[in-house]
Amino acid sequence: MRRSRMIEALLFASEAPLTASDLTRVDETLDEEQIEGILAELKQEYETEERAFGLYEIAGGYQILTRPEYASVLERFDSVPLTNRLSPAALETLAIIAYRQPVGRAEVEEIRGVGAGGVLKTLLERNLVDVVGRGEGLGRPLLYGTTRYFLEHFGFRSLEELPRSDELAVILSEKTTDATEA
Amino acid sequence: MSTQLETDPLLVTLDQFQGPLDLLLHLIRKQDIDIFDIPIARITQQFLDAIADMGRFELERAGEFLEMAATLVRIKAQMLFPRKIDEEPDDPRADLVRRLLEYEHFREVARTLEGAERERVRFHAKGYFEQRPRAVKADVPLETDWSEVWAAVMMLVERFEEPEPGYRVESRPVRLDDKIEHISRLLDELTRVEFTQLVAPWGSRLHAVITLLACLELAKRHALRLRQAAPFAPLWVYRSEEHDAA
Repeated sequence: MRRSRMIEALLFASEAPLTASDLTRVDETLDEEQIEGILAELKQEYETEERAFGLYEIAGGYQILTRPEYASVLERFDSVPLTNRLSPAALETLAIIAYRQPVGRAEVEEIRGVGAGGVLKTLLERNLVDVVGRGEGLGRPLLYGTTRYFLEHFGFRSLEELPRSDELAVILSEKTTDATEA
Repeated sequence: MSTQLETDPLLVTLDQFQGPLDLLLHLIRKQDIDIFDIPIARITQQFLDAIADMGRFELERAGEFLEMAATLVRIKAQMLFPRKIDEEPDDPRADLVRRLLEYEHFREVARTLEGAERERVRFHAKGYFEQRPRAVKADVPLETDWSEVWAAVMMLVERFEEPEPGYRVESRPVRLDDKIEHISRLLDELTRVEFTQLVAPWGSRLHAVITLLACLELAKRHALRLRQAAPFAPLWVYRSEEHDAA
């Protein structure tokens, strides 16, 4: 049995991304580096053969997904809203949590200027954020952080893939930075 | 200012904003106002005009906008106060500006996330079609579905297809209640009976239909259970557990 086919079988059967270290469990003689090599081969193979799916790096792992150009085919066959798209309120709240984590509800509300209770509940229910600790101060407020599923939902490899502050089109001139620090 | 609000770029409905900061930023950016030198009197008036018909909002949302309105009015008042000459010229707008920029920053991040999400939903993992819940057989009390029942009916229709009549006879009416009683009595003695056997003694299409209706009615009352292993397979009528208990 070819090693690459064993890895392929695992990826094929999995509904969530598998990390290289997960995959080493299939064969003790393989280390992560060799696994990464096999993964790169598979990825290349799917591309050259123009398969309807590809191997994608998501949330620190690897997952077989259909290529975006086939999305309309799948949706036409049976339109199932797989991921209910998030509301602007949820996206703003997630943006704050992603950059400021661990962060408490009060800070989120202060930044958005609106209550965050309902949105936080939704994000918790959808497993996009989780309680990661408790803050100092009155009532030791709950602190929130993003989950691994957050990366999966947006198709990010890691949090590093989020735009850095200086990459954003808006603001953050020197004056702004001063104002923020003040 | 209110006339200006009625013109296009400033014509707003509150529903389109995430909150007071979002509305305030909209007013500032749409009019190309320097955020570090906000004309507080003008912006405050525009803000108040925009939230004037807010009555239909739920209390919590209204409160958030009113709080901002109060902040704006306070800043406006502070800017009118004469300052002592030796006092550090502390801009009362500074904190608001900081909040606006911070909010705008995260609003931009949120848009990036939205773009990533829009892209991501075009990639589908295994199990995409599994999202639709499928009825597990054990969950369905009737243990059959409409297509199977229909298949059984069609089979009966074919089986009892009457020959072209050379004459016409009014068939004796079959009463549903009688059928129900007949089946119930039969199931007192038998644990199960095959559907065609229920019809066989009479062998007419009308009997078949009424018998099926009687079975469905009894199944609905949980007095019996219908089982069919596969489409076109024999339809078995089972005595139900409740029937046993009765």
